[in-house]
Amino acid sequence: MEGIISVLGKAYENTLFVYGLILLLVYALLALLSMLAIRYYTRKNTQHQLETLASSPMAPGITILAPAFNEGLTIISNVRSLLTLNYPRYEIIIINDGSTDNTMEQLVEEFKMVAVDFAYNARILTQPVRKIYKSTDPAYSALMVIDKVNGKSKADAVNAGMNVATFDYFVCTDVDCILHKNTLLELILPVMQEEKKRVIAVGATLRIANSSDFDEGVLIRMRPPRQLLPRFQEVEYIRSFVLGKMGWSYINCVPNVSGGLGLFDTEVATRCGGYDHSSFGEDMELLTRMCRYAHDNEISYAVRYIPRTLCWTEGPSTVKIFSRQRTRWARGLAQLMYAHFSMFLNPRYGKMGMIVFPFNFFFELLAPLVEFSGILIYIYLAVTGQVNWPYASMLLLFVYTYAVMITTIAILWDQLSFRYYKKWWEVAYLCLTPFMEFLLYHPLIVFFSLRGYYYFLTGKKSTWGNMQRQGFGKKKK
Amino acid sequence: MSKILLVEDDEIMPKIVARILPTSEYELDHVSNGKEAFEKLESTNYGYDLIITDIMMPYANGFEILSRVKSQPRPIPVIIVSNAGNEDMIMEGFKLGADDFLKKPIIPAELLIRVKRLLMKNK
Amino acid sequence: MFDIPTPAFLDPVFSTFREAPLAIRLAMIFIIIAISITLLAYFSILRSRFRGHQRKKRLDYLLPKIDNLIIDEILANPEVAAGTPADRIQLNLDGFQELPLHKKWARQATTNRIIHFRRNVRGNAGQLLRSLYIQLELSKDTMKQMKSSKWARKVRALTEFIDMDIPVADVTILPLTNSRNRELRAAARHAYIKLSKNEPFKFFDVVTDPLLMWDQVELFRIITTTEDISIPNFARWITYSSNKSVVSFCLKLIVHYNQLPAVPAVIKLLDTKDHYLRADAINCLGKLRVPDVEDRLVSMFTSQPLQCQIEILKAIGRISSGRQVDFLKQEFLHSTNFDLRKAAAKSLVKNDWVASQVLQELLDTADRESLLILKHCMNPLIKY
Repeated sequence: MEGIISVLGKAYENTLFVYGLILLLVYALLALLSMLAIRYYTRKNTQHQLETLASSPMAPGITILAPAFNEGLTIISNVRSLLTLNYPRYEIIIINDGSTDNTMEQLVEEFKMVAVDFAYNARILTQPVRKIYKSTDPAYSALMVIDKVNGKSKADAVNAGMNVATFDYFVCTDVDCILHKNTLLELILPVMQEEKKRVIAVGATLRIANSSDFDEGVLIRMRPPRQLLPRFQEVEYIRSFVLGKMGWSYINCVPNVSGGLGLFDTEVATRCGGYDHSSFGEDMELLTRMCRYAHDNEISYAVRYIPRTLCWTEGPSTVKIFSRQRTRWARGLAQLMYAHFSMFLNPRYGKMGMIVFPFNFFFELLAPLVEFSGILIYIYLAVTGQVNWPYASMLLLFVYTYAVMITTIAILWDQLSFRYYKKWWEVAYLCLTPFMEFLLYHPLIVFFSLRGYYYFLTGKKSTWGNMQRQGFGKKKK
Repeated sequence: MSKILLVEDDEIMPKIVARILPTSEYELDHVSNGKEAFEKLESTNYGYDLIITDIMMPYANGFEILSRVKSQPRPIPVIIVSNAGNEDMIMEGFKLGADDFLKKPIIPAELLIRVKRLLMKNK
Repeated sequence: MFDIPTPAFLDPVFSTFREAPLAIRLAMIFIIIAISITLLAYFSILRSRFRGHQRKKRLDYLLPKIDNLIIDEILANPEVAAGTPADRIQLNLDGFQELPLHKKWARQATTNRIIHFRRNVRGNAGQLLRSLYIQLELSKDTMKQMKSSKWARKVRALTEFIDMDIPVADVTILPLTNSRNRELRAAARHAYIKLSKNEPFKFFDVVTDPLLMWDQVELFRIITTTEDISIPNFARWITYSSNKSVVSFCLKLIVHYNQLPAVPAVIKLLDTKDHYLRADAINCLGKLRVPDVEDRLVSMFTSQPLQCQIEILKAIGRISSGRQVDFLKQEFLHSTNFDLRKAAAKSLVKNDWVASQVLQELLDTADRESLLILKHCMNPLIKY
């Protein structure tokens, strides 16, 4: 008995060691790749290009899809800000997902909308569309509002929008996200500049809106969030987008284009059936299915990211709402891994099957489990007096400094390329955040992820699905 | 003396326009976005003889400005000055009642002539 | 490696290190590396913020000055208003001498500002801005950048020459049009079209790799805004080029310049095997409103893939000769594809100057879905 335990213990120890080592190496590699990707981006992309595209009759058309559920407080200013984006050829489709407040009435009144006889072609099945509205004022001719029966998910709403989208590309966003005025120009450029591949999706950096100043849907001044929880998220977003996604983008291995803002190839997204309304992580699920579709149909595809921040979203500021969001994300991840497991290490799916999927499986899905089991064993060893404290604390210190370093590098890349925030001490403030992340924020994420997996396994009904579509509360202004 | 409102978010264009239109004949007010334009128009009770506007601007785009101005009892003539090369966009402007369209980069003398012509017509 | 004298308080650290197993030793080394990199990152952030701050302060001071000088000297120049050609106007550069133009950043700022002005004004004033750029010898830096080994610098230099319309010798540009770096290759081609005095469109003959969507945007801007460029008949490349992207781009140029003499070549292109190209050709014929081609399009209709069928229906709508109403009605009533029915209905509506009776008839007799499609297409509020 003793022997088995010690063999198992040794095996566990070794596995953990290799696991940790690979994870550290991957992050080091991402830091390097993201630097190359960002450098290439900043050299290549100039203001000049954006102006040229904005004035070109050859700019490809883009459809903006923005689902709205009970957004009465901000709907008007946010639609206005969508109407003033810099782009020569686009349409805006707001999908009113059966709001119970006055969202629809406000839209009708403010933009002089009337119901029109619209030949709706349900390429993707959704909850019924009640009516489609267009404005009688030619100034708003780019705007369309779809009024549909609530589908209890963002996915269902966006799918309805996809059915009426005119253009070859669509940008999916949330009505409560605030977009940079050059968003469409920036997002379409990687599509137009790709040499041999068909770009099926493009994403950009998201940031937390909480303490920044906005005026009628226009960003006035960027600030790091004052509250601790949103500030953790800001740092996390910088790391995950600027360092993570950019690094993956460089080798065409982007695992996910965030639901807050992304540009997609309409044909591919529609053909593969649109968003899955039963998914808890519908954005990642769609991208996985699009990549799968591309592989199955022998489309040589690419998914790209750009390092510039184009979208600001309200991050949850209470632990309660935050826990819902993260539990939901974790559940979505588990769902996705389960549904598409046939791609795992399947060479038929190229990089998707051999790199993206395994990485997500081992280092996103399993990470919380590994960490949790590690802690349990650690406690057991500590209680039985088998821990070599100096060595243990040394290893812990190593992981801690390494984590801080990676996050700081992400902030550095972000600063070197764009010099966001007005004052240097705001950046310093942000730089201090990772020191607490390891002890305060990270355990929360591990815990909520485990809860998400538990819900996935037990198939718990989502009690919040409707009210908090994005998993967090409404913005108050 | 004609009062002209220039709505333009580029920082150089207003300086250029200010120089093209001699101060002895034109009183030029400049605002840099749609929101300020509406504020200015409301506060002066639409008291301008001519509006020169860009299309793509923050808060409210040129089309909204056109639409609002042209629905007034006394519509003010509007010249669009924009770098838009998309024909649909230009057509849209005319549909909304724009009186003239100039594509950037402009020829200074041309702007002056068009301004004069429009002001004459509306006297 | 431990021969160097160390302070006594570090002794326990070193003794731990020496006694520790390999993993712990590595951890200790990496802790030090991680801390150093983090500190270095802080330093870099601070430095970049400070530099950015400095740059902003300098520019905030300098730019208004440059603007005023340019406005006074160029736009308010009485000779420009009088219509004197720019090359005969003597510029007074005294004011500019007071700018810190011996500094590179100031020269770059001035150049950028002149380009910015040229994006807003053209004609004589635009020409005079160019003279200013030349007389201030700002192109010297750009010439130096051209010799840089970094592609990004060369691209920037070429873009600047394109913007300022500064002639560059073919021998300088031509080698770059074959560069292995895509950005540089593209920029060199743009520069060649804009600046070469020989045969600007020659590269259409030789280019083998595809013109990206983005290249087409840039090329279109350059071709349509260069004032003294002589526009060839693009039918030449439609007929002879084997590069599909060049053909497709030429189709767009034919539409832009309304080159009716190119029509026979475009019609010939209808026989191509490539669906995308054929769809582009049909689109081009529709936009040129070539009525004679309608019968041909209708007769080939049934053998086409969906995208070409839709283009054919659209083209008939654009041409609007009124002769194909029966065909459109047929497609609208009997096609099983939603997009085809919609395109047919749209084109019927565009033909309504002869088709109004047919439309009314259809409205009276249509089933629910057909009626909805017709109403959709007849509603002026719905664009697409």
